[in-house]
Amino acid sequence: MDLFASLGLGFSVALDPINILYCFIGVLLGTLVGVLPGIGPTATIAMLLPITFSLNPETALIMLAGIYYGAQYGGSTTAILINLPGESSAAVTAIDGYQMARKGRAGPALAAAALGSFFAGSVATFLLAAFAPPLARAALNFGAPEYFSLIVLGLLVSIALAHGSIIKALGMIVLGLLLGMVGQDIYTGTPRFTFGLRELFGGLNFVAVAVGVFGVAEILRNLENEHEREVGVKAVKNLWLTRDDLKRIIMPVLRGTGIGSLLGVLPGGGHILSAFASYSAEKRLSKHPEEFGKGAIEGVAGPESANNAAAQTSFIPLMTLGIPAHPVMALMIGAFILQGITPGPNVINEQPALFWGIIASMWIGNLLLVVLNLPLVGLWVKMLSIPYRVLFPAIVLFACIGTFSINQNIYDIYAIAFFGIVGYLLIRFGCEPAPLLLGFVLGPLLEEHLRRAMIISRGDPSIFVTRPISATLLVLALAAVLVAVLPSIRKKRAEVFVEED
Amino acid sequence: MALKASRNDLASGAIFIAFGAYFALEALRYDFGTPFRMGPGFMPVVLGGILIALGIAVAAKGLGKPDEEAAPPWPLRGIVLVLGTILFFAATIRGLGFIPVVLIAAFATALSSSRNTWLSALIISAGLCVLCLLIFVVGLGMIVPLIGPWLRF
Amino acid sequence: MKTIVKMIAAGVVAGSALSAATVVAQDYPTQPVTIVVPFSAGGPTDTVTRLVAAAMSEDLGQQVVVQNVGGAGGTLGAGQVAAAANDGYTLLLHHIGMSTAPALYASLPYDPMTDFAPIGLVTEVPMTMVARKDFEPATLEDLIAYVKENGENVTYANAGIGAASQLCGLLFQDALETKLTEVPYQGTGPAMTDLLGGQIDMMCDQTTNTTSQIQAGEIKAYAVTTPERIAVLPDVPTMAEGGVENFNLSIWHGLYAPAGTDQAIIDRLTQSLQAALADETVGNSFAELGTYPVPASEATPDALAEKLEGQTALWAEVIAAAGVAAQ
Repeated sequence: MDLFASLGLGFSVALDPINILYCFIGVLLGTLVGVLPGIGPTATIAMLLPITFSLNPETALIMLAGIYYGAQYGGSTTAILINLPGESSAAVTAIDGYQMARKGRAGPALAAAALGSFFAGSVATFLLAAFAPPLARAALNFGAPEYFSLIVLGLLVSIALAHGSIIKALGMIVLGLLLGMVGQDIYTGTPRFTFGLRELFGGLNFVAVAVGVFGVAEILRNLENEHEREVGVKAVKNLWLTRDDLKRIIMPVLRGTGIGSLLGVLPGGGHILSAFASYSAEKRLSKHPEEFGKGAIEGVAGPESANNAAAQTSFIPLMTLGIPAHPVMALMIGAFILQGITPGPNVINEQPALFWGIIASMWIGNLLLVVLNLPLVGLWVKMLSIPYRVLFPAIVLFACIGTFSINQNIYDIYAIAFFGIVGYLLIRFGCEPAPLLLGFVLGPLLEEHLRRAMIISRGDPSIFVTRPISATLLVLALAAVLVAVLPSIRKKRAEVFVEED
Repeated sequence: MALKASRNDLASGAIFIAFGAYFALEALRYDFGTPFRMGPGFMPVVLGGILIALGIAVAAKGLGKPDEEAAPPWPLRGIVLVLGTILFFAATIRGLGFIPVVLIAAFATALSSSRNTWLSALIISAGLCVLCLLIFVVGLGMIVPLIGPWLRF
Repeated sequence: MKTIVKMIAAGVVAGSALSAATVVAQDYPTQPVTIVVPFSAGGPTDTVTRLVAAAMSEDLGQQVVVQNVGGAGGTLGAGQVAAAANDGYTLLLHHIGMSTAPALYASLPYDPMTDFAPIGLVTEVPMTMVARKDFEPATLEDLIAYVKENGENVTYANAGIGAASQLCGLLFQDALETKLTEVPYQGTGPAMTDLLGGQIDMMCDQTTNTTSQIQAGEIKAYAVTTPERIAVLPDVPTMAEGGVENFNLSIWHGLYAPAGTDQAIIDRLTQSLQAALADETVGNSFAELGTYPVPASEATPDALAEKLEGQTALWAEVIAAAGVAAQ
């Protein structure tokens, strides 16, 4: 079946009025739940999963996919408005998005995120339709050594996340890596850094750490100077992008889409890197890198596009091979099975209407999302006019309840308090929280792939340089370090001379 | 100020060193392993060491360079009330149940802002309680006792 | 949206619940029943539970709600149910992990044998010994010879300590008296990815995850771990056919209430479980998963108690011999 006939079949399924309706309900519910602080996409889907059980398979899966990107989008909204990321990619959006909101530019930030996401989602959906099987095959060439090298590259490149001291950013990354190691070691089962609490065997909850170091820390920062000024986000100037904004986001959106589409295909953790990689790329390529971290719209548009593109292409391994790229995809597998469909290489042949219907519905879902959210921008921004003294108790409570509802684990809430105070102290002393979160999500992967690569090579580290993909990635990592270090060394010398005057 | 160094750099360096030391020392008790089969202690020991080194570097960089800006005041009331509320929430959600915990927690957090009076804090806490009930219990079907076992007679 | 309305009812009723003592067993159930799954939503155990829960709510005339309490290899959720009120409104659906936990975790805050009242077995999911598709051996006999000859040069993926895939590997190595290089993964999903990509050699996983890959020819299947061949994979021999005797492994799932639950309530639940397992939709969905509901004669407290006891003894021995422990 050629591509156009297949897409025709897909759209005939996706454009069924019932399916459009459920796609819309999914996108709407996903957005509304995803916007709640402390609830990221994974939790949203886990909570809303049962709603889809009574529907027929196509409709149920179309609705679930809608919930997924709705939740993802809702998560970015919270990150921009109140500095509370619900998942790792939103942590990147929070860096510049929240700064824009503080300057009264929440509207353009949300609009840039919506438009970037829509464009990226459309392109990635097309890629999914056209190249899914070959892309999935190619991704299988990535084994443990390749992922290890990729993560090393990602960590080194992402030093650009920091707009202050590079050593402090490195410190935050390493601290994040260490925090990611809390919990039971998957290789030996040894519980590490758990204080004997079995509640910590599964590791620290991402949402708890994110809510602590971003949300609670930010609230404490705001309470510092309460007597002198009304804190929080400034009144909103305009809702829509200016012509200049539009010009500035075009290239970041295009690059973000490319980066995200490629990384999303890799099932071993590529999608996590997409937003961070896009942010680093934009900061490097920008003519005014000093604006990053202080409200650069490129820092919102690029990562949001990358993230959404990766979200779409991460369906590729699921739908063509039946393997989940991340926890959300694992939930989707459960949903498939409950609908009586076992995801695997045969779905595309045995259930063409379902396969192409879901792909077509992704495009429609992205369209609905942008149609739904552009008007909502006004509503979200209005919420910022709620006085901060009312808003922050709400944030604290929502975060606690949301985090508790995921696993009913009270230690996740204790963790919020712990990371709230640690995050507050570190930020007060001039460290930034985003690199810590990157380290936190990549730490377990880094260790897992390193140890697995060493087992597979029987203890021979040359495996990292003898496998071509891995070697290439490591060379790129080395180049990234050189590019970053050389100019600053030169500058240092200049400074030394200046000081001697 | 007698101290001729950046308090920020010294403090963040100290935090890094403390965390690095904790992770590295604790991890020394775990199996270090061999290159073939790395043990659970390998990565934390290595990374903990790196973090200590970075902490020292951060602190050293701050020597002789005092902070330009004066430190903002400590939000002591906020720290105690906000963190206290979160701890209270965790400790009592199972026992007291959803409604009492949300009421008390919202009230205490609201009071951490000096701009809230007792009355406005009360109103905020009642409003938030209704909102949270509607969203989480009614809307999302969260399974949690509304009035916990500690309050049943 | 009906479910949401029912959930509202569930929340309100659960909140104002009467204490356990006043519940009259004959009227049971008068409020929604919660089944705790000690794993995250979307996994195979969760899927099994949701299918059974839907059918049981029809029989009981009350909503049966599934609650996921994941963590620490299923011991957190099990511990929570062990400590719950024994009024029949909080149940546990757990798999083989119930019998391995005592051997794996030194300090378990509950005793699987005494802290629970068994209700019945639910299903036994067979497992399959599979390999990457270009793996040399062609048949089960070849595989056994190959593994014996190459030993540690063969890589075997498992889903971490105490996972069924690891237990299967332990039994296999035990039976062949050889040692493979075990490569742990975070769950069987990533392990399957690496198997498909040819990064590792072998794995043993439940049919739920392997059937579609085997049928598509993406991986090689050498044997099923049950005493008889299974319907969805009629061409795959049993271990016994290849000369590996006494190899019987399936991921069995059981339904439990906290110990001390009224016998009348247990009887009612057993009856409801049997009705659910006889349900056609449940049967068909289980077949899709490559498994089947246990016959009514096994969906009983006695059958589950016997299974739990036998398996606990077996795994205590195997796990101690292999020197594996989580804590």
